[in-house]
Amino acid sequence: MPSSTSNFKRKLRLPRLFFAKPSEITPRDYERPIPQVPWRGMTVVVVLIVIAAASAWEFYCRSIGYGPTLNDNEDLWTSTRRRVKPESIVIVGDSRGWYDVDLDELQKGLGKRPVQLAMGGGCAYPVLADLANDESFHGTIICSVVPRLFVAPPGTPPMERAEKAVRRYRTQTPAQRASQYLAMPLEEHVAFLKQEELALDDLLKRLPIPNRPYAQVPPRLPPYFGTIDRERRARMIEECARPGSELARTIQQIWIPLFTPPPPPTYIPKEEFGKKMGQAIEQRFHDVAELVQKVRARGGEVIFVRFPHSGGLKDLEDRTTPRAGIWARVIKDTAAPGIYYEDFPELSGFNCPEWSHLSAGDSVEFSKRLVPHLRRALQM
Amino acid sequence: MLFNSLTFVVFFAVVVTAYWSVRSWNVRKNLLVVASYIFYGAWNPPFAALLFSTTAMDFWLGSRIAKAKGRHSRRMWLVASVCMNLSMLGFFKYGNFLLQNFQWLLAHFGVIYQPPHLDILLPVGISFYTFHSLSYTLDIYRGVLRPTKSLRDFILAVSFFPQLVAGPIVRAGDFLPQLVTPPGLRMGQFLWGLLLMTLGLFEKIVLADTMLSGSADRVFSYAGPLVALDSWLGVMAFAGQIFFDFAGYSICAIGAALCLGFHLKDNFRFPYAAIGFSDFWRRWHISLSTFLRDYLYIPLGGNQVRPVRAAINLVIVMFLGGLWHGAAWTFVVWGLLHGSYLVIERVIRVFFEDAPWAKNFATKFLAGLATYTAVCIAWVFFRASDFTIATRMLRGMFGGHAHGDAILSGREMLQIGIVTACMILVHCSLRESNIETAVTRLPPWVVTAAWALMACAIILTQGNSNAFIYFQF
Repeated sequence: MPSSTSNFKRKLRLPRLFFAKPSEITPRDYERPIPQVPWRGMTVVVVLIVIAAASAWEFYCRSIGYGPTLNDNEDLWTSTRRRVKPESIVIVGDSRGWYDVDLDELQKGLGKRPVQLAMGGGCAYPVLADLANDESFHGTIICSVVPRLFVAPPGTPPMERAEKAVRRYRTQTPAQRASQYLAMPLEEHVAFLKQEELALDDLLKRLPIPNRPYAQVPPRLPPYFGTIDRERRARMIEECARPGSELARTIQQIWIPLFTPPPPPTYIPKEEFGKKMGQAIEQRFHDVAELVQKVRARGGEVIFVRFPHSGGLKDLEDRTTPRAGIWARVIKDTAAPGIYYEDFPELSGFNCPEWSHLSAGDSVEFSKRLVPHLRRALQM
Repeated sequence: MLFNSLTFVVFFAVVVTAYWSVRSWNVRKNLLVVASYIFYGAWNPPFAALLFSTTAMDFWLGSRIAKAKGRHSRRMWLVASVCMNLSMLGFFKYGNFLLQNFQWLLAHFGVIYQPPHLDILLPVGISFYTFHSLSYTLDIYRGVLRPTKSLRDFILAVSFFPQLVAGPIVRAGDFLPQLVTPPGLRMGQFLWGLLLMTLGLFEKIVLADTMLSGSADRVFSYAGPLVALDSWLGVMAFAGQIFFDFAGYSICAIGAALCLGFHLKDNFRFPYAAIGFSDFWRRWHISLSTFLRDYLYIPLGGNQVRPVRAAINLVIVMFLGGLWHGAAWTFVVWGLLHGSYLVIERVIRVFFEDAPWAKNFATKFLAGLATYTAVCIAWVFFRASDFTIATRMLRGMFGGHAHGDAILSGREMLQIGIVTACMILVHCSLRESNIETAVTRLPPWVVTAAWALMACAIILTQGNSNAFIYFQF
């Protein structure tokens, strides 16, 4: 009778398959079947169709107003972030700091060429934190403040957008970097290469398919209205800058739902949600104040700037996020210099064609007039 | 380096051109080794050293197993190889997971222990190349493969770039024989490879990322209760997304290998047309399921043991299969669910397999539908990042949130419906066939039009795409 141990061994005995006769490594015995079709002719036709379709699409996109420009993705942001030197002037925050600042004018007035790190629909906080926690950085940060975006809580699109960019800066692989270098010359010459405008996903979003009346669908984002270059300098296109243009009017109507506070989620009691949001905003004030102190302790400076906005969007922002609220609190808690455009007549007379950003021409003039205020804040 | 990146397009064009321009087989193989390490190092250069050390160790251990005299000695060298590979995998992939569970276990006994968080970066594709490499020593031990004398050939077998980071899991025994004689450049094979790469990229970029991933992400990241329709559509979107993502990568890999004259086996065979779960696993991630079958299930006794033991073996295999996918209990539950499905199916087969109604169309149709539904339910655990989300999703799917929210737009619902219906239709129509046969049977103008359409759609998406899901595994 076998012992329990031998029984156990017998049960675990490896099957015969494990002791099959060894085989030499011999030439392949497996080949995939290859369909027998007229390959050469088919390939030539496919190449011709693809070239013709891409050319027609490019021609069409140009005919309806699109021009070649770089895509503002996290790789371009990363390549710009790499330009930050310890004593650089860096612009952070949202799209107003992105469109309304002319780098040439700031360079003339401040003696250094600023690095543009502001981003469309982005929250300033993750970038501010990235720079403040960079021990080598002791330069100047010009931070654009659109209150709703500035206090956007974690998990919201403005925060995620900025966090994604910072994360890419820290983790960008050599392959991603190479792809960015390869993509830039293409994007500078091909108009239809617009990831957030003319990609298949965005074209599908434009289909007039009705939603269920009770469905909570995210609001639409504005269409293409600007170009950017390798320094990430954003400029509004002529079509949008033209007073009363169809494009400008369309964008104006898109800003309103985007800037309207969304209703609280159905799954959290209203009071509890309000309390949580209040706590998150308080935490943001506290964190920003700490970050500003970090930069200042190293000899750097942070200047908060409220850029122009107009029309119905200004009415909405003034009503939902009045100056006495978030702006005043940020300036008070950080004790940092703040430039609110409405305080100065020379900065107030600008009209934003689509209510949120200055035209390319006005951004140059605005920047020229902003320089003395920045110099004063920097005690230059 | 991602297949769906400009860098890869340039890299592949350069490698293919250089590869077919050189006449010497040895130089070609050297070129592929260098290219494969550049491909891997382009993600994180230091981890290329880890890949090399794993490969070199298994090469040496393989020769030790072959030379060892006596079963005990052979087994000892095999154990060394298994331990080396699995400890590497364990450290990088399961280090934090094990620590967290250890902390949880101690807390259960009242011991407060705060483990250090190991800031471990997971080397991309470690689960795949560990298995590529491990198959070599296992096959030598099993006696079905003799060790190669060329370290270079073995390095190429493990690191061959098309299959390096996300499969298919190509066994050394399937690849090394292809390194004996040089393949010739055959135009049909090369162009078929390009067509397969187009198809794979189309599945990944257009179907997975553009048509489905956004909806799946929104549903699974929504913090509130969802109505049944949105919950089901979200899960169906993920079911389609993960298939197109992973099958797309596998087809790209097969196509890229073909362009270089190598033949990799199918990794997917129209899985959503599966009738039953054993059928599903013969069609889904075939290289993993056969790996687990040959190196785990059969050694445990396979079907040659009592039914209860065979059922336990199945569950063990699926448990480990789940864990292979990720260091989280949700993956384990996914694996265990599939294990349970397989066991239940076996029981049903014992009772009803010979029943006359079991083979009629209606039964097969219902069984196929039940398989797809059960697979979708299991996907909830695969996709959800924790059990709270999984539970909320399942409650939504089974009507637990009658007054839940609806978050999918009409467009998203249409996209999910159309893509899923087309996918299942194609899977059902090609269930007993393969893509090569389908392409041969179709009129050339249809294949040409489909190829051109896929290429145009890829260009239209502009590479605005995500990393492959299976890169993280």
